[in-house]
Amino acid sequence: MPTIRLNLLNCIWAIMMKDGLCEFRTRYAVSALFMFALISLASISMSIGAASLPADLTAALLWVLLFFCAMAGLSRVFVQEEESGTIIALQLYGSGQAVLFGKLLFNIIMLLALTMLIIPLFILFLNVDIYHWSIFIVVLILGDIGIAAASTITAAMVAKTQGKNALFTVLTFPILLPQFLSSISATAKILMNVKPDISDILFMAAYNVVLMIASSIVFDYLWYD
Amino acid sequence: MYRDISVKLVDVSKSIGTRVLFTGINLVVNAGQCLVITGPNGSGKSTLLKIIAGLNQPTTGAIQIISNNKQFDAEERRACLGLISPEIILYADLTGRENILFFTRLRKIRCNEHQIEGYCQKVGLAIDKDQLVRTYSTGMRQRLKLALMLAMQPLLWLLDEPSSNLDADGKRLIAQMISNGLEQNAAIIIATNEPWEAEHADYKIELA
Repeated sequence: MPTIRLNLLNCIWAIMMKDGLCEFRTRYAVSALFMFALISLASISMSIGAASLPADLTAALLWVLLFFCAMAGLSRVFVQEEESGTIIALQLYGSGQAVLFGKLLFNIIMLLALTMLIIPLFILFLNVDIYHWSIFIVVLILGDIGIAAASTITAAMVAKTQGKNALFTVLTFPILLPQFLSSISATAKILMNVKPDISDILFMAAYNVVLMIASSIVFDYLWYD
Repeated sequence: MYRDISVKLVDVSKSIGTRVLFTGINLVVNAGQCLVITGPNGSGKSTLLKIIAGLNQPTTGAIQIISNNKQFDAEERRACLGLISPEIILYADLTGRENILFFTRLRKIRCNEHQIEGYCQKVGLAIDKDQLVRTYSTGMRQRLKLALMLAMQPLLWLLDEPSSNLDADGKRLIAQMISNGLEQNAAIIIATNEPWEAEHADYKIELA
């Protein structure tokens, strides 16, 4: 039999690439995410005109925007599998952990790509000055990973339920709240030309790790039962 | 590699709500043997296959897959079986070739382009393997599932109405695949009402 045993990382990569290829061909999630971001930013910009918003409000706007973009598109990784019926083949042939981390990786990449598109528009439309770029990028990456991790596990939870869209947001928000508040706080400090405390950054990183470990433990029950 | 696999059903029953699909199923299928499950629509043939595949839980009883006196856990069970069923739906936004590549990678089997070409050739999809599955007819999708089964080379084959949507040529292909599978010592369980598929049976059970 012409086989070479591949490891878990290869399976994770295969799932991420499969989701990427399907997304590239259909653009279901990308369209939803990007259009939501563009319309929201344009609306806010037109509403406030030339006025300058306080830093904490601007930071909150950025993260609320990223959160609702995630709510608009990231649940598709599991909902699409359920709705198209492909989830049975995936359950049969894929290991739970590979599926979870493959889809998590895909969501992280999607959200980071979206963030890269949003940030220039955000700076342009809201006339924002970023003072500590390197720390700002770290905060964005950690915040995005947190949103993607919370979205991925709740998407798996709600995929088989009725009213999955409403339930997705309702379940994701409390899971994400501590991370969300830290992201807003750190971003607000950066916009005020104050470096965030290292403890803020460490909390965000630790929360992501805890979230991923908890997801990994819970996911096998969701996937196989 | 495990080659002496056997599937043992111990007092398996399944009820959905108040409706009893089947009760007290006890049987053993060894490597190189074929079990055919027949019965009218709604009798639970497909459900029994899904229970054996681990996609559904029995109401009572247990499924044991044993090799070298070692009972497989859930992960090992899934890794040793292949299922062809109307409920298995492949990715419409991938090509036939990409579907085979993806699922074999999930099974941690490396398939090269030449091998995929060969499997597609065997099932009559050589020309269409690079087309998106959404453009396939139902018969072509069934053939793609057969190609996937060939690529996986599982020890336990679960075939739920395998010739559905296939033309005469496709049915001959199924018959040939089953014969080859048995020669290669696979354990095969077929849910069908087609008399010609039942000809392969070493044992038959009929669900009421």
